[in-house]
This record gives sequence, structure tokens and C-alpha cells, in this order.
Amino acid sequence: MKYNLNDLQANAPKSSTWSSLNKLLQLISHEKRNLLLATLAIVVNSTLSLLGPLIIGRTIDKYIFVPHKNYHGVLMNCALLLGMYLVALLTSYLQTILMGGVGQRMLFTLRNAIFNKLQLLPVGFFNQNKAGDLISRINNDTDKLNQFFSQSLMQFIGSIAVMLGAGIFLLSVNIKLGSATLIPAVLILIFTSLTSPWVKRKNARNLKSVGGMSGEIQESLNNFKVIIAFNRRDYFRKRFEEVNTQNYESAVGAGIANNSYVPVYALFSSFAQLIVLVYGIYLVSHGQLGPGVFAVSYFSYTNQFYNPLRQLAALWTSFQTAMAGWERIAQILALETDIVTIDKKVKELSPSLLEFRNVHFGYDDDREILHNINFKLERGKTYALVGPTGGGKTTTASLIARLYDPNNGMVLLNGKDIRTYQPVERTKKIGFILQEPFLFTGTVRENILYGNEQYISHTNEQLEQVILEANLGSLLAIFESGLDTNVISGGDSISLGQKQLIAFMRAVLRNPELLILDEATANIDTITEKLLSDILNKLPASTTRVIIAHRLNTIENADEIFFVNSGEVIRAGSFDHAMDMLLKGKRVS
Amino acid sequence: MSQTVGSKPKPPGIFSLLKPYSGLVTLLILFALFSNSVNLWLPKIISHGIDGYFHNRFTQMHFDAGPTAIEFSLAVVFIFVFGFLQTIIQTYTSEKVARDLRARLSDKISRQNNLFIERVTPSKLLTNLTADVDSIKLFVSQALVSIVSSVFIIVGASILLLTINWKLALCVMSIIPIIGGTFFYVLKKVRALFIKSRGVIDWLNKVINESILGSALIRVINSQQLEFDKFLKANAEARDIGLSILRLFAGLIPVITFSASMATLSILALGGHFIINNTMSLGEFASFNLYLAQLIFPILIIGFMSNIIAQATASFQRINAVLDAPDTPAGGSITENLKGDIELKDIAITYGQKPALKQISFKVSAGSKIAVIGPTAAGKSQLLYLLTGLIKQDSGEVLFDGRNIDDYDSESFHSQVGFVFQDSIIFNISIRENIAFSDTVTDESLEKAIDTAELREFINGLPDKLSTVVSERGASLSGGQKQRIMLARALAIEPKILLLDDFTARVDSGTESKILANVQKNYPGLTLISVTQKIASVEHYDQIILMMQGEIVACGKHGELMKTSPEYVQIFNSQQSTSNYEV
Repeated sequence: MKYNLNDLQANAPKSSTWSSLNKLLQLISHEKRNLLLATLAIVVNSTLSLLGPLIIGRTIDKYIFVPHKNYHGVLMNCALLLGMYLVALLTSYLQTILMGGVGQRMLFTLRNAIFNKLQLLPVGFFNQNKAGDLISRINNDTDKLNQFFSQSLMQFIGSIAVMLGAGIFLLSVNIKLGSATLIPAVLILIFTSLTSPWVKRKNARNLKSVGGMSGEIQESLNNFKVIIAFNRRDYFRKRFEEVNTQNYESAVGAGIANNSYVPVYALFSSFAQLIVLVYGIYLVSHGQLGPGVFAVSYFSYTNQFYNPLRQLAALWTSFQTAMAGWERIAQILALETDIVTIDKKVKELSPSLLEFRNVHFGYDDDREILHNINFKLERGKTYALVGPTGGGKTTTASLIARLYDPNNGMVLLNGKDIRTYQPVERTKKIGFILQEPFLFTGTVRENILYGNEQYISHTNEQLEQVILEANLGSLLAIFESGLDTNVISGGDSISLGQKQLIAFMRAVLRNPELLILDEATANIDTITEKLLSDILNKLPASTTRVIIAHRLNTIENADEIFFVNSGEVIRAGSFDHAMDMLLKGKRVS
Repeated sequence: MSQTVGSKPKPPGIFSLLKPYSGLVTLLILFALFSNSVNLWLPKIISHGIDGYFHNRFTQMHFDAGPTAIEFSLAVVFIFVFGFLQTIIQTYTSEKVARDLRARLSDKISRQNNLFIERVTPSKLLTNLTADVDSIKLFVSQALVSIVSSVFIIVGASILLLTINWKLALCVMSIIPIIGGTFFYVLKKVRALFIKSRGVIDWLNKVINESILGSALIRVINSQQLEFDKFLKANAEARDIGLSILRLFAGLIPVITFSASMATLSILALGGHFIINNTMSLGEFASFNLYLAQLIFPILIIGFMSNIIAQATASFQRINAVLDAPDTPAGGSITENLKGDIELKDIAITYGQKPALKQISFKVSAGSKIAVIGPTAAGKSQLLYLLTGLIKQDSGEVLFDGRNIDDYDSESFHSQVGFVFQDSIIFNISIRENIAFSDTVTDESLEKAIDTAELREFINGLPDKLSTVVSERGASLSGGQKQRIMLARALAIEPKILLLDDFTARVDSGTESKILANVQKNYPGLTLISVTQKIASVEHYDQIILMMQGEIVACGKHGELMKTSPEYVQIFNSQQSTSNYEV
């Protein structure tokens, strides 16, 4: 499965703004009632605010700009207007609160959808994408959507409603003048639709260069010690200058594309006023239009039509930026995990806890890492995977834990295809201490109990008791404040060895049937390591252990040793035999 | 309105940022004023047109709309040209300011030491370089011009209204303080919520970041639901704040439109009266309506922009904190070649309450091989960091060839000390650049380093050989391959002193011993300090230093330690059972 988002982006068919909008709207199909009410409020509100200029124009034509002036009539109409404005006060409130509410909940749903998808995707997805790029993509793009939904959406919809209404009034009061006034709008529409793909492209390019820049910054800053130790401050500067310049260029391009709409729209809308002025006078002189309707209503409507249009220019770009962000997010949402639970009732005959049957695997299609692997793991035994670096040990372990599925062949757990197990069940059975320990920001306690429901309500004293019973007490003692020691994700506040200890305790307390240690003690001193190995020996008799290690003392107690090299897993039998193979294998490699 | 802006405390410094761009900024404001002043004149032209027509109609004369139309068109084209120029300068200036600011920041960061980066944290610096710079960009591109234009339009329109009919004008202008006041009141409340929402967004991002970096663990433990619950909590909070902000705006917008409507109403009631009394023309009446439309928007703009200025000021202060950070002391000027003698005198380092290193003293003579062993968290890595100057001691002295480490020119010093870090740090560049990371590396040194680190075969097996680009965090490489690349990187600078931090942890012992033999052969005279767990591979070293809890417990050759140090014997025995299998 290809999960590289940059490649996917390059190959993706260009979709229109509307089709991406459509996809977005599907997320809020359950908000129909609120949308309907909001629409109603918008219609009433726009109608009321648009009736104003017409009433004023008519008032002039009927009571003011006529030989028989009638100030009483003027006041009557003023009262009517006041009533309308009061109603509009209410509807305009409703319009904002209903529509804005939909927007906020949509953003909420959308964020949840993205995060949920991230949780559903397999490890392969995270390995194929730069972490920095991924983080920036998700944070930035959701932020773009956030800005649109929280700030621009209301204006956007309000502007469209007023504009449409003004258009209708322009046409219905006097069709000739109305259609003439709208000619510049048609030109704007043509201009916009011609230039919008270009603007969108500029923005997408800019977003991408922003992602590239923050990825670059993250990589350099996180590895700053190397930059210092190797005198490459200039490397940081040079790489940064490159992305900075690139970002500058793409941002200027996007900025000019975005901002140039404003003066163009202003030009067109001014020409609309000119049309009203010149053609309006012509129509008035031929008695086809009242002077008040001409001088007040039409200028008002033209403003009400073109002013939102001008704002729409700004909002439109914000909308397009949001859509570009959404498109990048939609790409992630469209990804499907290739690690699915399959439904297969057939029970294979295999008495072993775990079996590899003709397993072939490669991270990408063109390079196979494991070739036709066959082995069995029995309950309660200790296995060791040894072999030179790059031989495929971690890959084998990853397949046992089903971080990946084999390209060919089958992994059987308790005689059943591992793919038929629900993740809950599978992960309960299989514990895997990863080569690179990961800690969440929080306390040691939170990290040890991470994802472990069993002890979550234990007090610290009770938990310490559990830890003692699991023979882990001596490990906990290494942390200065015990369970309450603070740890920072990715920080250097505790050593790598200590991180490995936390990962070890985390895995042991979950009490798995099969525990894999992938060089999980590589950075732990030998005395502590001895402790760990004692703990491992005291695990319940039924627990199967799979130990991956370079250091041989960690595997001397293994019941069976597998030699993993060049994508093959060979049963090495006894410790001595394994040593022989290891030595020989090394000479070969 | 202008008083309201004036009474805001002048944001310290943010305008000083514009000094180098004063030419562009002046041009920008000038163009904005050009187009705005002509824009203010448009209703006048329309009003004259209308009045001209009706005047002629009453006097039975033919009215020629031509001159008005031409006047109007010229004005409009003028506005367009200057508006467009303004747009270009606006974008150009703001991006230039942003680029220069980022360059200044990165230059500053690049001159800091590692302590600074660790203390400020990379993620904060990332925010400075991206989000903070963006908010300043927004200030330059939007706030400046908008506020100047808005004040200009409000004042200009007010004056023009007053000249047309002062009574009606005063009536219409009374909405300015009403709208402005309400707006500022609401905005003040919204601002507090915005700050809160920024905090929630940080929280959301933290959950997302950890779920990405810890993705493998989450899948092993199947804790996706747990992560989702964490996210849901933060997300619900974000939504609730969003809804609170919305409620404030939902109350604000009707007040604004209603005030504007009241102004419209008074124009009709009073203006109608004036027309009936013949003290006002229809054209003037129309222009009042047009000016009213021009008047409302700038009031809101000023409010919004004051928000942007506040944000930009906060960002600018954060950026300044980085820019004003004291430079790393220039260090010494000694550029002589190192012989390789090292001495530590009474070194102590304390992190918070916790001593990391206590009373560390030892000597290493040039060309010798030293091993540092000891349990986890004994302070072994700290020791190496100290020797490269990545961290500084609280007391004591670090001497190289009898001279303080601080007296050495840092560039010359680092080019003679190779450090293989414990964690694999591989950059997203080609293998060649990863190894020849320092720019002084010759092809010859590169080849020698590759051979020494036993990477030749591996590299030859890659599709693009040395030019193969490795992905970030080296996901496509095994742990041992990464370690060996790091070793080659350190060897490629032809170091006089080589520091290995747990190099053996991820490299199998066969490869390890081959590599160490290669080092011996290809880099004669090298002073080697190796932090390790394995006694077997360092038994023959000139000196073995045993550290526990930040202290040196024992120090000497293997044979001596076996006689004098019970702790050493304990470690030795824990490895003994298998050590005869080590090559």
C-alpha cells in the first residue's frame, strides 16, 4: 500500500472546488434541521434589509419628489421601516448563531474524522511520511479550516444571501436597468472562474512549501547537537535559506494572486454604478423609472450587490485556502488501512501459539525483505532472534505483532490466521517492546499504565504493590520520584535506558501471552539488564518470549534460537550452534 | 474614531520593525490614500450627475451625461491602478519582512549553543519561525494600510457629509461611536477567548503530535480509542470556545446593522423633510446614502485590525526574546591542532535538584583508549556531551592539552573531535551528505570512513549508492546501519579524538570488533573514549572508568579493577557467562 502523501498528491486527479465542497458537506448531513432554520433566518433577514432601499425610493417618488409633497406619508413609511428593522434585529441574530453553530460543529466533526483516520491507519503510513511534514500538514490544514469556519463562514453565507437578494431586487424593480447593472458581475464571474484554478494552484504550492519549511526546521532543530558537534551551523543556515527563499517566492506568488482580486472587483463594481447613473438617467427621462427609485434604491442595490462581492473576493480566497487544506486532509481521509480484520472461520491445524507459514514480505513491492519464512513458537518457551544488523529481525517481529501483513503466506496465532483476530484480542495476547521507546508527556505512572485498563483506578500505593508483585520494584526505584516522576515526550529529561525501562514495565504489566523484546534493553547497563532477565524468567509459565538482541548474554536462556540473516529465518537449535552460525554468518556478511 | 486608536497603548517595537522598509511602507500608504481619496469623491460625482440632470429637466434643457461619465470613468481607472499597485507592494513588502525576519531568526538560532535550543525547545522555535512570523506578516500586509485607509475614510466621509448638510451629518455620524463602542467592548471579550482557544489548539496539536510520533506503540497496545478520547476532550473544548465566540458575534452583528439602519431611517425622515423644504437636493440625498455605506465598514476594520496588531505585538515580543538572547560567548581563539590529552578536574553538573555529575576528575593521555561503563543514568552520556562542549559544567574544568576547552576556537575544536551519538540522527539528505556532513571532508576521508565503518557493502547494495536519499529518522535503515553511518560521519572529519556513545548497542559484536580494528588501523594515534555496556570489547583498553549515579566509582585497567572494584566484578560476572562467545 502506498501511503506517501506527497506522491499521492502529485498523482491525484485535479478535483474541482465544488466536488471537494460536496465531500465536505456530506460530513454535516445530520445538521439538516439547523441548516433549514438558518436558511430561513437568512432569507427573512436579507429580504427585510433589501426591502429598505425600495421603500425609501418609493417614498421619495410618492411623497417627496412630487409636486404634492406629503410628509405624513414619509413618517408612515419610516414607522414601517422601523418595524422591519426590529424584526431584522432578531433574524440577523438567529442567522449568525444557527449558521455559525453548524460551522463550529462541522469543524469539530472534521477534526474528529481526521484524528480517527490517523488512528486507523497502519504503521506503514507513518513510516512513509515525514513526521514533521505530517504534523504540519494536519495542524496547518485544520487551522486553515478552523479560520474559515470560525471567522469567514458567517460572512461568506451572509454576503451571498444579500448579494443574491440584491440581484433579484435589481432585476425585478426594473428589468432593463437591472440587467444592465449586472453585466459587470457577469464579467467578474468569467474573470474569477478563469483565474481561480491558477489562484488555487498558487495557494496549494504555497501550502506545500510551508509544510516543507516547517519539516526542515523541525529536522534541523531536533538534531541541533549534531549540527554543533560537526560545525555545520552553516548547514542549518543554508538549508533554511533555501526553504525560506522558496517559501518567499511561493508566498509572493500566492499573495499577489489572492490580493489582486480586490482592485479588479472594485473596478467592475464602479462600472456598475456608472451604468446605473447614465442608463438610469436615460430611463428616468423616458419616464420608465421613478427618480427616487433611481437615485436611492438602485445605488443601494448596486452597493449591496457589489460590496459583498468585493468581500467575497477576500472570502473566496479564504474559502479556497480552506478548500486546498481540506483537499490535503481529504487525501488522508481517503486512505484505507491495509491491516483489516478478515472474517474467516476455517481453523488451520497448528497447535503452536504462533506460526509463520511461507511468509514473504517487503515494505515496498519492488524489494522483498523476508523470503519464505517458516517457523513455530510454542507456548511458554523463550526464543531468541539473532543475526547481523539489517538482517530482518525487527521486520519479523513487526509481522508477529501485525504491524504489517505479509505480502504472501500467513501468520497464525493459536492456529487461526492472525488477520481474523479483532485488534483488541490480538494486542492483548501480543506484547511488543519497540526498539525506539516512546513516552507520552506526563508521569511515569501514566506511561506505565498507558492503554492498561486493569490498574487505571489503582492508587499509587496499590499500583506499587502490583509492581512489586510483578518483580518490577527494583526498576521503579531507578526513578527519583517513583511513579510521579515527570517525563516529557521526546525530551532528554530521562535517559534512553530509563525510557526502555518504562517501556519494559508497560509491556510486562499488560501480561501478554507473547512478549517480544526488540533490542529493548540495548541501552540498559548489564546489572539492570540482569534484573530484567530475572523478571522475564519469573513471568507466568505460559508466557512465550521472543528476544531480539545483539548482546548474547540476554539470550543464553533461550530455549530456541533463530538466526535471521538476509531475509531468512533459520532454526539454529542450541546456543552453541547459534554462536557458530552467527560467527560464520558474520564472516559472510 | 481616531482617538480610540490613539488611546490604545502603542505596541512597543512592532513599528520599529518597519524601519528598514520605510520606503516601501510610505509608498504603500501613499497609494492607499490616493485611491481612497478618489473613492470618497465618487458619490460626489454621482450626486452632481443626478442634480445636474434634474436641474436641467426642470429648466427644460437637454442634459448631457457624457462629461460626468468620463469624469467617473477616469476616477475609477485611477482607483484601479493605484489599488493594484498597492496590492503588489503590500504583498511584496509583507513577504519581504517575513522572509527577512525568518532569516534573522534562523541566523540567530544557528549561532546559539545546544543548551539554548534544548531550553527554548525546538517546537517553540518552530512556532516563532512560522506562526509568529505569519502574524507579523498579516500586520504588515493588512493592518497598517487598513487602519490608515479606514481613519482616512471615516474622517473624509464625515467632513464631506458635514459640508453637504451639517444637521443630517451629525445625526448620521452619531452611529460611529455607538458601533465603535459596542465593537470594542465585544472584541475585548473575544480577545480573551481567542487566547484561551490558542491554548486549546496547542493542546490539540500536542495530542496529534504524540499520536504520530508514538504511532507504532499505539498500534502495538491498540490504544487508538484512548488517543481518540484524549483528542475528543480537547476538540470538544475547542468547539465550546468557538461557540462562545460565536455567541458574542451573534449579538454584535445585529447591533451594528440596526445602528446603520437607524442612520438610514434618519436620512429618510430628516432628509425627506429637507428635500420637501428645498434645503437639500435629491443628489445630495442619494450621496448621503452612498457615504453611509462607505462609513460602516471602516469602523469594523479598525476593530479587527487592532486585534491583528495585538496579536502581532505578542508575536513580535516572542520573536524578540529569541533575537535578543545573548549570543553564545565567542569562545577562545586557539586553533592549534589537538594532541589528544584530556583532563577533567572536579567537574560537577546539577539539573534542578538532581546532581548529574559529581566530582569527576580523570586524565586521558593522547592516543590512549578509554572506556566508560556503568549503569543506566550514571551520567556517562553527560560526560561525553561535556567533552564536546554541548553542555557546560557548573564547576570544575575541562582541559584539552592542558588548556581550557573554552579557550579553543569552537570550529577548529569540533573539526578535531568526532562524536557518535547514542540516538540515531540521520538527515533527510543523501548518504554521502550524511557521512560527509562537515564541509571540510575530502573524498579520500569519506572513502576511508566508509571502509572503516564497514558500510561499503551496504552502500553498494543501494539503488543510487552514495547518492541514495535516506528518509527522515532513517525509517528505511536498520538500527545498526544508522549507527554505522553516524560513526562514518564522525570519522570522516579525521578526528584526533573520537567519542562513542554506546556505539555497540545496535551493532552486532562481530561487526563491532571488525570496525574497531579498522579504526585502530586507519586512524593511528586517535584518542578514543567509548561509553559502552560490554566489558569484553574494552578489556584491553588503557583505562576503564566505572561510573555510578554521576560519580566515578573506580578507574583503572581491567586487571586492576578486577582486583579492586567489587562493582566492576559484579558487572563483569553478569556478562561473563556469554563473553567467551564474543569474538
